[in-house]
Amino acid sequence: MKTVVASFASEAGLVEALPRLRSLGMVETYTPKALEDDQPSILPLAVLVGGLVGTAGGFGMQVYANVIGYPVDVGGRPEFSWPAFVPIAFEIGVLSAVLAGFIAFLVVNRLPRLYDPVDEASLMRGATRDRWCVAIRTESPDRAHTMLRDLAADAVEELAA
Amino acid sequence: MTPFDPVALAGSNNPDMTDHVSGIALRSKAFRWGWIAIVLPAALTSVLIGSILYLFYAGVGIWGIDWPVAWGFAIINYVWWIAIASGGTFISALFFLTRSEWRNSINRIAESMTLFGAACAGIYPILHLGRPWLFYWLFPYPNTMGLWPQFRSPLLWDFFAILTYVISSVVFWYLGLLPDLATLRDRAPTRGKQVLYGVMALGFRGTSTQWRHYHALYGVLAAVMAPLVCSVHSIVGLDFAGAATVGWHSTMYPPFFIFGAFLSGFATVLLLIMPMRRLLRLERYITGRHLDVLGRLLLTSSLFVGYGYIMDAFNTYYGGEKAEITMYQERLFGYYAGIYWATILFNVLLPQLLWFAAVRLNQLVVALIAIGVIIGMWCERYTIVVVSLHRPRLPSAYGLYHGSIWDWLTLMGTVGFFVFGILLIVRLIPVISMFEMREILAPRRP
Repeated sequence: MKTVVASFASEAGLVEALPRLRSLGMVETYTPKALEDDQPSILPLAVLVGGLVGTAGGFGMQVYANVIGYPVDVGGRPEFSWPAFVPIAFEIGVLSAVLAGFIAFLVVNRLPRLYDPVDEASLMRGATRDRWCVAIRTESPDRAHTMLRDLAADAVEELAA
Repeated sequence: MTPFDPVALAGSNNPDMTDHVSGIALRSKAFRWGWIAIVLPAALTSVLIGSILYLFYAGVGIWGIDWPVAWGFAIINYVWWIAIASGGTFISALFFLTRSEWRNSINRIAESMTLFGAACAGIYPILHLGRPWLFYWLFPYPNTMGLWPQFRSPLLWDFFAILTYVISSVVFWYLGLLPDLATLRDRAPTRGKQVLYGVMALGFRGTSTQWRHYHALYGVLAAVMAPLVCSVHSIVGLDFAGAATVGWHSTMYPPFFIFGAFLSGFATVLLLIMPMRRLLRLERYITGRHLDVLGRLLLTSSLFVGYGYIMDAFNTYYGGEKAEITMYQERLFGYYAGIYWATILFNVLLPQLLWFAAVRLNQLVVALIAIGVIIGMWCERYTIVVVSLHRPRLPSAYGLYHGSIWDWLTLMGTVGFFVFGILLIVRLIPVISMFEMREILAPRRP
């Protein structure tokens, strides 16, 4: 198994090349901005669940504290004065939604990952600026080289490992 | 410079922008103006630390607060700072949802303003506690005394609102920074910087799945942050409205406070981007269009705030309650009247100049108006806090209030700390969100 890294000068060049490159093996793109992608992400759901759990938990915590745990009679008003519990329930809900979203982002992307073998390719330095890079893990690096030449890749690099 | 400038001048492109913006953060030598700019903020930050230490040693008696005015500078400054902070979230989250392209080049500085504004705001309520080391009593944690906080109190709502706001702002800011930190890592000239930015970037490499989840999450979080910031400032308004104090007990307060947050937030952003675009040579990406849009928003929020002042007066006199009218007369003509009329001048009258396009593009005049607004918003909070408290319902409890030297030093200290923080941000991270600029710039050099 060899890893071949190639960079393209334009987004269109990379997008055109991708279907053919996928026939070589595992392909991963590294791009300065997002490619067109219509696959769904699970993160909005994580944020929603985090928000709902946080809101419900925050509300329940207040009800327990002020109705059961330590009831205080304020001018004869009802102990279960739920409208007064709404702001904190909302705030705790938002806090857990934001944290759930961020943690889920790290989990689904397996971050932090400070080192990846693909970093050894010097071409990768351009992937966060204006180069459109692709890494191909393949059994037949020679075919990859020919195909990339055909596809007018800007530069090609093969990883030693 | 015209109001019809594009959001990035013709000829701007991604490689030049990335090199220029990341070059600012990766410079090996500091800017010469940077050394001059940092002196005063650094000195004031030391003053802040010194006055906080003295406060912890001596207690809140060193401040001007007493009966009947027990809420002095600490609460005024707190509300003032949290309003400034909110402006940044409006720009980064609200205008993200409206897909406004002009936001892309200024949202990083607006969000950094939120971070340090919220930090300055967040310390005041703790300083204001008589026994600040017991602030953790606000947390609902099981304890041996079986006590729980009183969740029906707006002051406790405020604690949760600020806590949520500070943490969420940091997360939102950091998430928005990840792709740019990756760019800095890949362009770092030294091993040290590569490791520093590499660790901060957490391994973001721009893979297809990273980008997909990234955009999905960022959009949803923006939709969460926008109502959050409104709730935070509404709750600050409820801190006042929840009390039966003269002049405070009004349903108008939550939206009225949000209007004020808009006003001071836009003024502060304007005040930050104008020197920044010149000193860091960003005229190409922060154009007449940005100044024009922010000037219009400043004018609009000034009209909102003016409406609030008019309704405040109308409700008082139409309502006809004696204590309310006494307090209001005092506000208009009494001992503190100068501060009230300064509020009207700075927040409502001067911003009317922004009706003229020529004024909106005249950076000197805009800067003066923005400084006026920031001072005016402080005066507004001074009027709300002090004038109401110094004329309670019982004439026997009337009293005057003045800030002490420690009040002023703490206020100036937080101003210095804010500027200090912004200068650090400018030095260490990209001041323009590079990956968001790529959405609107040409991909290659012409």
